[in-house]
Amino acid sequence: MRFNEKELVFLSRQPSERAAELGMRGPKKGDVVKRRQVKLIVNFLFYFRIDEDEPIGALLLEQCRVEKEDNHAFSIVFLDEAERKYLFECDSQEQCVEWIDAIVKASYEFMRKNLIHYRTEIHRLTGKDPLEQYGISDETRFQVNSGLPPLPPPPT
Amino acid sequence: MLFYFEERESREPIGVIVLEGCTVELCESESEEFAFAVKFDCIKARVYKMAAENQAAMESWVKALSRASFDYMRLVVKELERQLEEVQEEARSSQAKNKMKKQVQAAASVQPATFSLQNAAITGPVQEGVSSRENGVSWSKPTSVPNGVSEGCVWEGDCSGKGDGVRPPPVPPRRKTNGGSLESPVSPGTGCFSKLHDWYGKEVAELRIEWLQSQ
Repeated sequence: MRFNEKELVFLSRQPSERAAELGMRGPKKGDVVKRRQVKLIVNFLFYFRIDEDEPIGALLLEQCRVEKEDNHAFSIVFLDEAERKYLFECDSQEQCVEWIDAIVKASYEFMRKNLIHYRTEIHRLTGKDPLEQYGISDETRFQVNSGLPPLPPPPT
Repeated sequence: MLFYFEERESREPIGVIVLEGCTVELCESESEEFAFAVKFDCIKARVYKMAAENQAAMESWVKALSRASFDYMRLVVKELERQLEEVQEEARSSQAKNKMKKQVQAAASVQPATFSLQNAAITGPVQEGVSSRENGVSWSKPTSVPNGVSEGCVWEGDCSGKGDGVRPPPVPPRRKTNGGSLESPVSPGTGCFSKLHDWYGKEVAELRIEWLQSQ
């Protein structure tokens, strides 16, 4: 699938939420841990070879699960059919916990859920829909019942 | 993200445009009416031109695309978070001020009485508080389409309405009525009664001291 690479590379140069050198292992069998510069920007996790300007790749942090692993490590598992798992090794427990927290909160889906929660609460307490004044109360993504569509069934 | 497919029924997209950092503009086109473009700030970025079928569709797309960024979402969430805190704070302080000032003369055994009254009070002050705040705060709508909508939409919030110290006079307590406009009679702070109890107790203690000193 094509994507707008130049703009993504440009995005990878913007100030990040969090950046560090971590050990990273890819999802394929036989992948080993390599040192990478990892940068969290909006809901992307960019990764670079050390001291290189252009990212090797990026992980879009949606529809994924973040899990604590042993030895100051965490993994990101993508919830498609294959359940691809990326491992990240940190320097300390503290750093590990901070990264997990940051990644969980980085997703668009997380923000969307928060927004719906605040909207519902404010409406409950005041009887008014806070999104009305911005003219966005009808947007699909802000409705209580709209979740992401279910993942497609695995290919037969 | 803007995914694009060959056809309506195609299962997989041909590609995706990551919209973070983009601006959306109307554009002139000889071949297409209702054309608009997605542009980026970076050098040598492609300009993505698109055209809708009619004016309404075009406007709807331009609005949606310009609000698609992460930053926009973050702004809205922060704003609602702030609003919720304000509402909760007002509910707490209005209830306390109304009830405590009336009760302080008969300072003994105020606490049990307060709890039952606090349910009635919420229907009054909270409404007042909200409407005065709305008058004081003005929000401009996202920048209008013809000027080229900028990504992230600028909020011009005049928050001084809250800080100018003009509060509505406290409303006398009303009994909670069925079918009141607020659905829930329970104050947001009653999650833990002992906490609420301590909180009210604090104000009572302070007011009691004030009253004693004025004797």
